[in-house]
Amino acid sequence: MKKALMKKTVRQLSPLVFIAILFLAGCSENKNASTHKQTPEIYTVNYPLAFFAEQIAGDQANVVFPEMEGDPAFWQPSAEQVANFQNADLILLNGASYAKWLAKVSLPESRLLDTSATFSERFIRIEDATSHSHGPGGEHTHGETAFTTWLDLTQAVQQAAAINTKLDLSNSGFDKLKNDLLKLDKEWESEFAKLSGQPLLGSHPVYQYLTRRYELNLKSVHWEPDVAPDQDMWNELKTLLSRHPAKIMLWEGEPLPETKAVLEKMGIQSIVFDPCGNRPAEGNFLSTMKQNLSNLKSRP
Amino acid sequence: MGDMIYMAWRYLVYNRIKTAILILSIALIAFLPIGLNVLVSQSSESLTVRAMSTPLVIGEKGSPLELTLNSLYFESNTPPEISYSQVQRVNETNLANAIPLYNRFRSKEFPIVGTSIDYLDFRNLKLAQGRKMALLGECILGGAVAESLGLSVGDSIISTPESAFDLAGIYPLKMQIVGVLEYSGTPDDRAIFTDLKTTWIISGLAHGHQDLAKPEAATHVREKENGNIIANASVVNYNEITDENRDSFHFHGDPSTFPITAVIALPHDTKSGTLLQGKYLADTERMQIIRPSQVVDDLLETILTIQQYILAGAALTGGSTIMTAILVFVLSLRLRHSEIETMHRIGVPNHRVIALLGTEIAVVLISGIVLAAILTLLLARYGNFLIHNLLF
Repeated sequence: MKKALMKKTVRQLSPLVFIAILFLAGCSENKNASTHKQTPEIYTVNYPLAFFAEQIAGDQANVVFPEMEGDPAFWQPSAEQVANFQNADLILLNGASYAKWLAKVSLPESRLLDTSATFSERFIRIEDATSHSHGPGGEHTHGETAFTTWLDLTQAVQQAAAINTKLDLSNSGFDKLKNDLLKLDKEWESEFAKLSGQPLLGSHPVYQYLTRRYELNLKSVHWEPDVAPDQDMWNELKTLLSRHPAKIMLWEGEPLPETKAVLEKMGIQSIVFDPCGNRPAEGNFLSTMKQNLSNLKSRP
Repeated sequence: MGDMIYMAWRYLVYNRIKTAILILSIALIAFLPIGLNVLVSQSSESLTVRAMSTPLVIGEKGSPLELTLNSLYFESNTPPEISYSQVQRVNETNLANAIPLYNRFRSKEFPIVGTSIDYLDFRNLKLAQGRKMALLGECILGGAVAESLGLSVGDSIISTPESAFDLAGIYPLKMQIVGVLEYSGTPDDRAIFTDLKTTWIISGLAHGHQDLAKPEAATHVREKENGNIIANASVVNYNEITDENRDSFHFHGDPSTFPITAVIALPHDTKSGTLLQGKYLADTERMQIIRPSQVVDDLLETILTIQQYILAGAALTGGSTIMTAILVFVLSLRLRHSEIETMHRIGVPNHRVIALLGTEIAVVLISGIVLAAILTLLLARYGNFLIHNLLF
């Protein structure tokens, strides 16, 4: 009888005990093991920076320049491609407003390196950009800063130096790279000196820093090597030639044969001077720059 | 002993209303000071942990508490805006990494925090679903926001205009949700995170519209003058950033002058932190650099003083309740005089009667204490939730 009554009493108290036990049980903490990458991953926004980083770091870093169709300056990445950049240990930027996509994505600021910050005061501003006005913001321009900074090879050295300082490697390939670039710079200087004062044409406005460094008299049109110029473009060129009688036109890539032929008829020789913003089909940055020099030397 | 407990239990169950009042009174006497202590400890811990994990915060000179509450807990009024150049200023010292915060806009009651993705790593926030924001116009939600609004990856959320009557003011921006954070038990659960640039779009410093240089936009052009295209009022800004129009979004002016509300500075080491603080000591300095832990310590000191007063009040109330309980037991003995007489007459020894009455009191006391313990455990479990919903 007593036993049965005790059981009943315990049964009546058990919900309270159960509640107490339930709340005494804590939640276990989920500790995720942090992943650690052995070799630092460096992402770059253009090929020259990738080349510099590869030369400096060697196999001490995994340098990634994603495959980009066309000019990397105007690349439009997908969210997945941006996510790859977000996971990098270091992201090398060219600066000088290069890579318009950077203003439209989220990247970890602590891992960004603006390689041209040291000479940002010497950036060339393009003044002929179209501006427009509407709304409370008033007149504004979507104007540009010239961004092909590395075509002044002394600036290329400064960009490589910024990477070298950031990486701070004991076994750095920077000195060799610097020597190679400065040697080429002297050769370019010597060759361009032969064109001193002579009017030159650029097929595209990418040669601003080249023009300044090597004291060229170069004016540019907006032509693409693989697109035949229309009549308006030819007219624009003729107008330009009337005040800038150039005999040489520098091209980013090999122009169409028909374009080249018409230019030759006009007494203008086409020379490929590849800025090498994207990875070349053959060779590397240095060999492409040397080829540019050879192309210059091969003019009649 | 079992029979004593049974008899006592039956008596208490029979007088259930009186018993319930006594148990509840004792439970509350025990729970009030302990519960208050738990609540204060939890709120202190909650505030302190967040503050301790945030080394330095920079903002315009003003109330350090307001800056701390806005930057760490996304509460309080929006502090005065500072320019993005303050982020660059910190980074240029090479003493610390800077994380910008722009906490001005809201979607319903939830703050939209414009920052860089460094913030997610800094707070060790993990994604429950989706990915980090990658493109302009994308955002990720804190766990509580997603649950409260019933939103998930693939949905969208619209920023709330600051004033319904400001027709020419800030446009609401429809943001795409690309990720939802795991619950972290912090104010991050109740926030919407997006890239700083997206919040600048909400504020009107950047926008997207039809390319006015194209022939199809001719109806929107009022005049063209020296390469400057002046649009008429028919130009409509996009209020959603899509893959199709993302490229048309552009910023007006120099981003270094664009607004933020605070900079979280993460010094490389203690010395760097001290050196960085030293750079903001000049009399002419317009910025303040604060250690949130110090600000929170000052706040907690005030809270603890208030707690002392509350505990003193609770002690007085408790004392009077205990006296009342004793009175109830004494009066109960008088009322049960005939019952006790009957027990004596049927041969129950005096010590057994005392034991029976003692057991009844013990059961009431233990039940009251168990109830107080359960309430305390409940508070310990859901204290943070209560703190956040009651205080903020």
